[in-house]
Amino acid sequence: MNLTSPFALALWTIAGLSLLGLPIGHAMIAGSVLYLFLAGLDPSTAAEQLLNGLYNSWVLLAVPLFLLSAELMNVGSMSDRLLRFCNALVGRFRGGLAHVNIVQSVIFAGMSGSAIADLAGTGRVMIDMMTRDGKYTRSYAAATTAVSAVIGPIIPPSIPMVLFALVSDASIGFLFMGGLIPGLLMAASQMAMNAIIAKRRNFPVEPPIPWREWPRITAEAFPALMMPVILLGGIYSGITTPTEAAAVAAAYAFLISAWLYRSVSPAQAYDSLLSAARSTASIGMLIAGALVFNYVVTVEKIPAVVRDLLAGYELSRFGFWIAVNLILLVLGCLLEGSTILLVIVPILIPTAKALGIDMVHFGVVVVFNVMIGLVTPPYGLLLFIASGISDTPLRPIVRDAMPFVWAMIVALIVITFVPDTVLWLPRLLGYQG
Amino acid sequence: MISGAHAAAAWLRRLAEHVAVALLAVMFLAFMCQIVFRYVFGWPTGWAFELSMICWLYVVLWGAAFVVREADEIRFDIVYSLLPAGVRRLGAALAGLVLILLYGLSFPAVIDYVAFLKVERTTYLRIRFDWLYAIFPVFALAVIARYAWLVRRGLLGGKATAPDQAGQ
Repeated sequence: MNLTSPFALALWTIAGLSLLGLPIGHAMIAGSVLYLFLAGLDPSTAAEQLLNGLYNSWVLLAVPLFLLSAELMNVGSMSDRLLRFCNALVGRFRGGLAHVNIVQSVIFAGMSGSAIADLAGTGRVMIDMMTRDGKYTRSYAAATTAVSAVIGPIIPPSIPMVLFALVSDASIGFLFMGGLIPGLLMAASQMAMNAIIAKRRNFPVEPPIPWREWPRITAEAFPALMMPVILLGGIYSGITTPTEAAAVAAAYAFLISAWLYRSVSPAQAYDSLLSAARSTASIGMLIAGALVFNYVVTVEKIPAVVRDLLAGYELSRFGFWIAVNLILLVLGCLLEGSTILLVIVPILIPTAKALGIDMVHFGVVVVFNVMIGLVTPPYGLLLFIASGISDTPLRPIVRDAMPFVWAMIVALIVITFVPDTVLWLPRLLGYQG
Repeated sequence: MISGAHAAAAWLRRLAEHVAVALLAVMFLAFMCQIVFRYVFGWPTGWAFELSMICWLYVVLWGAAFVVREADEIRFDIVYSLLPAGVRRLGAALAGLVLILLYGLSFPAVIDYVAFLKVERTTYLRIRFDWLYAIFPVFALAVIARYAWLVRRGLLGGKATAPDQAGQ
């Protein structure tokens, strides 16, 4: 590639501005505007792509709606009730509270589409619970909380999968369905690792909850447990689209928190809306930047260039999978997940298609991979947040999180090379791929 | 005088937050209307759908212009955070200048583009597109103003808080 071509200069600009600390969305818009000037194109094209892209992509409405429903769930006492339920379920095993942490994340994952919301929502409660009376070290509590939050966007609903659907035209409904078994596999890999560590470090068990307590605990958690059923039932029965299901989820979270549990004040509702609006705007800016930059990438025919380049290497499907997983794991250590999904993944999609890889399978593997990146150093967003809410330095958290990362990589290898782990469920429900 | 300016800034910030909250709330309610009307009553709901799309566009651009705090923004800060404070400030000032330059240079073309859309209207609510998309020039100007402030701070030194964080 010519290093002074308009496209190369745009790339340099984006990289330079990002390195200097500019928000990535702005950096991409600025780099793309520079490209338009240098290539002699109309500089207003950036605004046109951004405005039309945001205004016409109705799937993206799911992003603010899922963010809002997660915020509303976190305000109410829903998370506490879920925790008590999970404790009754798995607290009695060695390392019980860490298992509780993981199972709680699985259930929460069925309602929320964002790992950050999962961690910010129940993280502090979970970490306090685990470290009370010195049962677990703060770093282990923070590590398991961060790592289990990764399950959130793999089990549907999932904001990253909405973003993948946007760049690939794969069906959101089938992507969601494809994520269910891999999400459970990820949880199983984490629980297995926790069981091993718990035995080695002799972690405590929780006193078993007497059977007569079970009906009450289950009844209290029941409305919260129904949320994934309503959400996923709506999507898979075809009654609601995934975006509509996101709105229904937010309404349901609000109704049961406000009326049934009586735990949401108007001020809290306002704060939830404001917090969701802030997250929407910051993710939205990144999406906006990616829409503009992807236009430049399309004008330059970059995906086709990459496809031809890789075709020149006569890459097999196996080789491509290995390369994609390695590239994404490395990028995941450096970049935030949405950036990878919106900027890097579109470049790989044509090659994946040319190799006959199913887009639902590809999407789920890519999201799974990118989510692992949220807990790999040096740039593991969830590790930073866990460090913040647990008041623990990053280094011991990273040390305690790494065994879980390896366990998840094993799960990643399984879902990559056994496509049925992803595709069995969608096909059962009518997916033709 | 300074406290008066601070109070005005805090008031404006709260106003901007109220607008963002209202936009998100309307988006949500319009979307719920759409679901209820369509599935319960079988009524056409194009207008509600369009309203929620408009609110989504506005939440992003209005929010990014006036509500998002520096700490909320998604950035690549591994290298940046390792730099000494002085270098970081100068780097941020340089990046800000480039951003202002590029947003500024494309601004006249953006105005032309938006003005040109006066001939088109949205499908259901019949809103003129030049009005609808006017949020983009507003956003671009807000970004330019914000970064002008950050550049000035970077070059002159001063407090390490952005205006939108000053009161928190």
